[in-house]
Amino acid sequence: MGAFAAVLRKDLRLEIRSGRSTIALFALSLLIMVVLVFALNPQPIDRARDAAAALWVALVFAGMLGATRSMIAENENGCMSALTLSPIDPAALYGAKLAAAFAFMAIVEIAAVGLITLFFNLDFGADLARLAPSLMFGTLGFAALATLLAAISSRTRAGDLLLPILAIPLFIPAIIAGVKASEAALSGFPLAAASQWLGILAAFDVLFITLGALLFEHVIRED
Amino acid sequence: MKNKIGTALGLMTLGLMLVSLFMVFEWVPTEADQGIVQRIFYFHVPCAWVAFAAFGIVAIAGVFYLWLKDQIWDDLGYAAAEIGMVFCTLVLVTGSLWAKPIWGTWWTWDSRLTTTFILWLLYGGYLMLRAMADDTEEVARFGAVIGIVAALDVPVVILSVRLWRTIHPAVLITRSGEHGLEDPRMVITLLVALAAFTALFGWLLMLRFQQLRTRTRLTILRREVALIEAAVGDY
Amino acid sequence: MARPAVETRALVKTFGVVPVLRDINLQISEGRCALLTGGNGSGKSTLLRIIAGLSQPTSGDAIVFGASSRNLGVVRRRIGMLTHQSWLYPNLTARENLTFYAELYGMPHGDGLAEKWIAAVGLAAANDRVREFSRGMEQRLSIARAMMMAPDLLLLDEPFAALDPDAVAMVADLIRSAIARGCTALLTAHSQLDLGIEIDRYQIVNGRVVPFRDETRAPQRSRIGA
Repeated sequence: MGAFAAVLRKDLRLEIRSGRSTIALFALSLLIMVVLVFALNPQPIDRARDAAAALWVALVFAGMLGATRSMIAENENGCMSALTLSPIDPAALYGAKLAAAFAFMAIVEIAAVGLITLFFNLDFGADLARLAPSLMFGTLGFAALATLLAAISSRTRAGDLLLPILAIPLFIPAIIAGVKASEAALSGFPLAAASQWLGILAAFDVLFITLGALLFEHVIRED
Repeated sequence: MKNKIGTALGLMTLGLMLVSLFMVFEWVPTEADQGIVQRIFYFHVPCAWVAFAAFGIVAIAGVFYLWLKDQIWDDLGYAAAEIGMVFCTLVLVTGSLWAKPIWGTWWTWDSRLTTTFILWLLYGGYLMLRAMADDTEEVARFGAVIGIVAALDVPVVILSVRLWRTIHPAVLITRSGEHGLEDPRMVITLLVALAAFTALFGWLLMLRFQQLRTRTRLTILRREVALIEAAVGDY
Repeated sequence: MARPAVETRALVKTFGVVPVLRDINLQISEGRCALLTGGNGSGKSTLLRIIAGLSQPTSGDAIVFGASSRNLGVVRRRIGMLTHQSWLYPNLTARENLTFYAELYGMPHGDGLAEKWIAAVGLAAANDRVREFSRGMEQRLSIARAMMMAPDLLLLDEPFAALDPDAVAMVADLIRSAIARGCTALLTAHSQLDLGIEIDRYQIVNGRVVPFRDETRAPQRSRIGA
């Protein structure tokens, strides 16, 4: 697993190095939430529902931009060819890319949760702790999906547009389940109440991580 | 030989369709609650069956393509996707036409229609991918992967949408057409319609598939010609 | 005769309907240095990529150390490759790039190895990001990247391009050392080279690989000191 660690460490280092664009992504997430605040005009009664909605919209949009960076970085200077030629197992490469995407999305999301709490007047503490599972599963699922799809979209015309066209319909079950689970968490319900939704999220994650690991070698192969 | 299969399917389709049309418009009794409009059900449901089945074919063709790397599987998958998309659109349109007179709105987010809509989006994504990638081998590979991924996503979609709708049922109750088909003539009509639409799908698929096969063969031939021309240049 | 290191059998590559490589039957024995010359767009790079398993042949086969290029498996580990693209990360330093590749290939003491090879190709700016490198520096670092792993097969696509004479001599030396320890090398270039060692010379003409015959007497080779 040395190769896995090498790729992950390299990707994390590169993400840290590209400091400016990370800040830009934070800014974008913030602004998306501002739009949602004005669009939803949240009342105290709908707080949990609106906050959950805003969170997941931000997750999807930020994910679309951020989760694919580690894949796109490999297109520079033909580095993906180097990885293909190297002895690393394609599934391990997928895992490393997935982990990098997850890490990046997680950072942006932590900031987003902070903002959500502020904008929607939520309570810090227990509510947020209950929020963690749905967010984590959702982020993991999106990262798994985006890593696989980015390998495809980055090699086609209008790839930036193709990625959401492919990703969003596939991600819908996770959105349905995730928003419901997040809403339950923010409404003060115990985790058990959202168990069905979390179950769907978990199944989604297992499915897509498995598919990604199996199919990755077919999408990175050139020519 | 292929033309014989095509012709046979075509004739079978014609026959079944005629019978089906007769049954739907003349023979089957009108449903009590919904009236004449309910007859659209006999087209709506078979279209849905075809749309989902076609998607399964796209995915299975994808698996075989990645495994055997033979272009014939990609041709089959692409043909199935194009035709499946048409039938999927028909499901949504017929569903809409059905909803308006019964419930007064053009669209409802009940679980079946929602699932079909998501399927439609998945088809759309697949077709858009095919349109945007240039290289044949690459696009075939990508298409296969997307087809497989999307097909396996569908069960999760069905599950999540169903759960979503049981917790918050659509404002409008689900159509009664499917359960409680009281009259056996309704069941028979439905089955005949299913057969007719399956035959139609098979026939269209065969036509389109053969078209794509011809295109593939043409490419292979042109490649051979180019190789021969280059060989001539050796002398 | 011992099994060749690289062998192609009736290898054909077409892009769409355009043939680039036609019926290539090449054999490179282990420990030999082979040079393949040809003009731009002649297919040299394509052939190398197919041998490395980065591109699939339209028909025919390429066999590397007994394994088909369509499924190299563990043989990948034994190949060091240089292409027109540097395979380097612009935002990492020279040292970080090489250390990454060392770790990727499971080489122990990656830091030391990186230092050694940065020196071997005459780069002083180990701590500068590759983004700031000149083309020549990038080329040298890329060669270090390719050779660092002590590969058994070197596939070098125009290794001497963009290098000044000192660097050219250095790289020639590295290639000679590799051959001396039993490595097999396949190089491509626009014109003939003299490395001071025995070279099997081939050229690509009209998509086919033929042995190179020196038609003229004129010294058209660039001699690189031995």
